[in-house]
Amino acid sequence: MPIIEVKKLSKTFKVKIKEKGIKGSIKSIFKPKYKTIKAVKGISFEVEKGEMIAFIGPNGAGKSTTIKMMTGILYPDAGSIKVIDYNPVKQRKQLAYNIGTVFGQKEQLWTHLTPYDNFKFFGAIYDIPNSRVEKKIEELKELFELGEFINTPVRNLSLGQRIRCEIVASLIHEPKVLFLDEPTIGLDPVVKENIRSLIKRMNKEYKTTIFLTSHDVGDIEKLCKRVIIINNGTIVLDDTMENLKYHYLNKKIVDAKMREKVNLEDEEGITILKDKGYNLKIEVDTRKRSVADAIKLLNPDNIVDINISNIPLEDIISNIYKKEDKK
Amino acid sequence: MLTEVKNQIRVMALSTKYSLMREMLNKVTFISNVFFMILNNASFIIQWLILFSLKEDLGGFTLKEVILLWGVAASTFGISRFFFSSAFKLSDTITNGKLDAFLVLPKDVLLSVITTDVSVSALGDMIYGYIMLIVYGITVENFITFTILTICGGLIVVSISVIFSSLSFYIVKADLVSDTANSLMTNFATYPDTIFKGITKMILYTIVPVGISVYLPVRTIIKFNVYNFFIIVVLCIVLMTIAYMVFNRGLKKYSSSNLMISRV
Repeated sequence: MPIIEVKKLSKTFKVKIKEKGIKGSIKSIFKPKYKTIKAVKGISFEVEKGEMIAFIGPNGAGKSTTIKMMTGILYPDAGSIKVIDYNPVKQRKQLAYNIGTVFGQKEQLWTHLTPYDNFKFFGAIYDIPNSRVEKKIEELKELFELGEFINTPVRNLSLGQRIRCEIVASLIHEPKVLFLDEPTIGLDPVVKENIRSLIKRMNKEYKTTIFLTSHDVGDIEKLCKRVIIINNGTIVLDDTMENLKYHYLNKKIVDAKMREKVNLEDEEGITILKDKGYNLKIEVDTRKRSVADAIKLLNPDNIVDINISNIPLEDIISNIYKKEDKK
Repeated sequence: MLTEVKNQIRVMALSTKYSLMREMLNKVTFISNVFFMILNNASFIIQWLILFSLKEDLGGFTLKEVILLWGVAASTFGISRFFFSSAFKLSDTITNGKLDAFLVLPKDVLLSVITTDVSVSALGDMIYGYIMLIVYGITVENFITFTILTICGGLIVVSISVIFSSLSFYIVKADLVSDTANSLMTNFATYPDTIFKGITKMILYTIVPVGISVYLPVRTIIKFNVYNFFIIVVLCIVLMTIAYMVFNRGLKKYSSSNLMISRV
């Protein structure tokens, strides 16, 4: 049985439009004009218990609006949402006891307090008895390696340490579903990797369902097995990460260092990405020409060094975004 | 239900405690904020001293009554701004989509939002109120009446701010309306109500109910009247209920935002 069920969900915003300059401002007082923006247009999807799902899309695609409706922050205009048997519109409080949220851009911790005091505060918010909170803090302290700074005021922590504390604060009440909105924003690659492995470990240990939005392809690739892509308020792809790569990875990048120059300009299925004399970078469309065939064209005896790679996932995703924008 | 109320009050008390702890981080700033507010209020009494040296009474109020009026007004506003400081920034909180953090928590949104901050200078107002009561002539009876009625007055002031701030759910720049209402509640509070007549007086007992938060309590402390006492308590409950309903109705229109926000 799915833990999250979203059916035909829609949300529109009414935005005031104003002509430029002071004249426009005066005009808008007496004759205001509005336009309706359809942020989410009847989307439907389901998430199974324990799943780690990436919910991605370009800026303004409707990701945040959808998450906000799923967590009870915004009221939908149409459609239905069920998260762990709760309707966020009617049962916001009951739902809040069972979900956790981490918004990478919005801090929920008191900066003058230590993480320990903050966790105690969150324990009180979720009505957890003191003894149980202390036990949970101890457990999460070990899992998220907070030992060194659990008694240092939050304002003196590094961004990576803060995010770890934000995640722990959202786990104090053992939520069944955790919404992570860009949890690694602004972090350096080492800390990002650390946060990712902690999220993975948490999903494994507590079977927490993770609903992740991120612009960082690394987060998506390393954490999630399923991806939902939303653009212009509609779902444009809902598939496993494996399928996404399989269907969209029909192009290979061949980066070769040559002994002699080769001309591949008019060859079918080959696009020259870079040609700097003896260094050649080509894209092979495997539906039209095999990689082996392309290497034959280069002449294996002529190759000094070669590197064959897939198109980065980032490019695949941005191609999907662009394709949808053109429609 | 009772446990829920108990837990909500516990979180509100913790929130106030932590906010106070934050303000106390800098001892000098904390003490000077409180002290200068007392001094600031005291300076106004000098104006009244000069006025009463020229005229014996003003609309039936002598210096003694004006001192009590200032005490009630200061304590009323002190209570509202110390415990519910964020109620006076509610318009900005709604307009800039800062309610998100409260909506994902299993507690009442309005009560959580308005108790998230304290105003240290308001502590000076509260203390000043009791100093004025001492100067007026403190007794056990008027101390109890003063305390209960200034708490009611404080809650009325907060309710008015919540009602006007909730307009921000529907219109842009509603902060101008709520700021005006809050200013009117303060500006009219330190004058004897007997100097106001007609429509002004009607407004002061309806739209901007300074009459119920300050004037009526002053009269009740001067000469205890069960009927007046009862009216103030009942109207306080009515206004709180209206504020709660108006806010929660508006909450359905809340449109959030994607601003970068931190809790400081």
